[in-house]
Amino acid sequence: MTASDRPRISLLGTTAILFEAPGPFDLPHQRRIWTLATTASKWPGIREAIPLITNLMLTFETPPRDPSTLMAALNDAWNEAQELTIGGREIRLPVTYGGEIGASLQAVANHCGMSIDDVVSIHAAPLYTVFALGSHPGYCYLGGMDPRISMPRRQTPLQRSAGGSVSIGGSQTGVSASPGPSGWHAIGHTSWIFFDPCWTTPAALAPGDTIRFEIERVIR
Amino acid sequence: MIEILSALGPTSVQDLGRFEQYRFGVGTSGAMDDVALRAGNILLGNDENAAGIEIPVTPFKLRFGRDRAFALTGAEVEADVGGRAIPPWWRSRAHTGEILTIKAMSRGARSYLTLSGGIDVPVVLGSRSTQFRGEFGGFEGRPLQTGDVLPCAAPNPSAETSDLGVGPADLVLARPNMPAGDTTVRVIIAGEYDAFDSTAQKLFWRSGWKITPQSNRYGYRLQGPAVNPVSPIEKRSHGIVAGVIQIPPNGQPIIQMRDAQTSGGYPKIATVIKADMWRVAQARLGSTLRFEQTAYADALAAEDEVSVYLDRLRADVRLFAELQGCR
Amino acid sequence: MPIDMTHIERLAKLLETSGVTSIEIDDEGQSLKLVMETSAIGMTSSVRADAISSSEETLVIAKADVAGHFLATHPWRAKPFAEPGQQIEAGAIVGLVKIGLLYAPVLSPAAGILDAITAEAGAMVGYGTPIASIRPTAETA
Repeated sequence: MTASDRPRISLLGTTAILFEAPGPFDLPHQRRIWTLATTASKWPGIREAIPLITNLMLTFETPPRDPSTLMAALNDAWNEAQELTIGGREIRLPVTYGGEIGASLQAVANHCGMSIDDVVSIHAAPLYTVFALGSHPGYCYLGGMDPRISMPRRQTPLQRSAGGSVSIGGSQTGVSASPGPSGWHAIGHTSWIFFDPCWTTPAALAPGDTIRFEIERVIR
Repeated sequence: MIEILSALGPTSVQDLGRFEQYRFGVGTSGAMDDVALRAGNILLGNDENAAGIEIPVTPFKLRFGRDRAFALTGAEVEADVGGRAIPPWWRSRAHTGEILTIKAMSRGARSYLTLSGGIDVPVVLGSRSTQFRGEFGGFEGRPLQTGDVLPCAAPNPSAETSDLGVGPADLVLARPNMPAGDTTVRVIIAGEYDAFDSTAQKLFWRSGWKITPQSNRYGYRLQGPAVNPVSPIEKRSHGIVAGVIQIPPNGQPIIQMRDAQTSGGYPKIATVIKADMWRVAQARLGSTLRFEQTAYADALAAEDEVSVYLDRLRADVRLFAELQGCR
Repeated sequence: MPIDMTHIERLAKLLETSGVTSIEIDDEGQSLKLVMETSAIGMTSSVRADAISSSEETLVIAKADVAGHFLATHPWRAKPFAEPGQQIEAGAIVGLVKIGLLYAPVLSPAAGILDAITAEAGAMVGYGTPIASIRPTAETA
């Protein structure tokens, strides 16, 4: 086994530990991460298990005296982790592409050497899977974007990007749940509500749910 | 109840923080200097998690709607209530209608006002802390403004309210042989430390890092010599916590603070230990931070020191109340 | 954990206020016995009374009401709470008594001009130890 085949496990001070799975950014790996999260969330001293993109952060209720034991447990649990298939909901999300909020649509088209219509139809084609929630309240990291419409993140993040922005960052796409800074390129927007602290579960979507973007309108 | 007569910048209601909501993308928020908030609440006989007001900018002014004990901890401020000067890290009592005025902040970066009973804003997702990005928690999910009227819970009836001070954390938890002026904080190396060569690592350890004006509750952006990894690193997004020091492409470190995003992908060189986060919170804009490597076990020992300080404080306040009661 | 001075002072204070005459403590091989000397208390108070009556003008005395170390200045600050010649209000802080981690204020019993800080900075003071003398302003005297 080479170094890149092995998981990377590192401490985040004394408050958390990070497990990074080897291998590609794909659904089978993510499903094993979900399994690992379910397992590790029950361990003593663990406050919360937070899956992100093919990795898992554990926050500590009580920091372990000897983190190497925890690291070994993570490795063992990963080796045993099967793919967890979550029968999530399928959400249809109406999107207005382009316009003031989706101002980077033309830039993405230029970068990818295709027309605006191509970018929109490629973006709206797949059934995306919610891989994880993170960044800000209710934000979903989606897997499944066609790599043909990838565009590297901004060198300098925008100070404020609108809530509901549908954006591309590298080979990922997502929808911001509230206004805030962003290093991604907004190509459209939706008025869907992703988060409300008054709901029993504050986030509308959960890992395993799927999203299909519906082209409501394209503003050129 | 109390009425805000003047509040500037991100002055906000905070308790110790909102935990166990990371998986919904919700960070902890909470008092940047949790030691100061706890000390204030201990002085008042409150639950240590009772919500107070974090004041990063002065002047600040409020009116007491009824008699109530309060405490001021954290940064050193020039403060008075009804014309009576309030010393640092102090519990006092305000009478109905009296005005608390906080003027200049001469040491530290955040003052904490705690009130007997605590600020009684609704608990949202397990905490009264203000979540700025999500616009919930605290008082209407936003910074305090002139005219806001904040409800307070009933005071603990057995709590003593005579004037009393406590030894500030920076005196009691002072570390020996530290250069004056700069703030030195202990860090544990993080996941990508080895992606930096020894020259870059030395720069990180040996430089004084200036805290830029773009530093706030989200993060402290530092300025110094560029520290870059051997080759650029673009990581998949992963969970991060307060204290994580990221190195973005410009080589200028960013320390994640209480309102930071819950995930990120920049390389992480180190993490400030939990026991020293209050020191970062009290480091002023324009001042210099230095990093000192520490081992995990020593970081836990440092947390124990903070706990011992708070335990002693609790015991001393209780004993003092007994003495007062005997008289 | 060894028994330290501040704990002894606090115990002594508890004895004094509770009317118990002695206490014995055994802790990890250390033993401590405190006995209240009732005549000593009487003496201290008579000395205090003398000091006040012998002064030419009527001075009021701010006294410590807890045992500990006297501080004229907050440890964070360079300037003392009050300086001789300064006008002070009734209830103004003239100094602190450090007891463990706490700072108990010594308050002026009257408004007036601070005459002198009589306690030495850093010195051990007890319940009733004079800390400062104040010349009351006419209307409140």
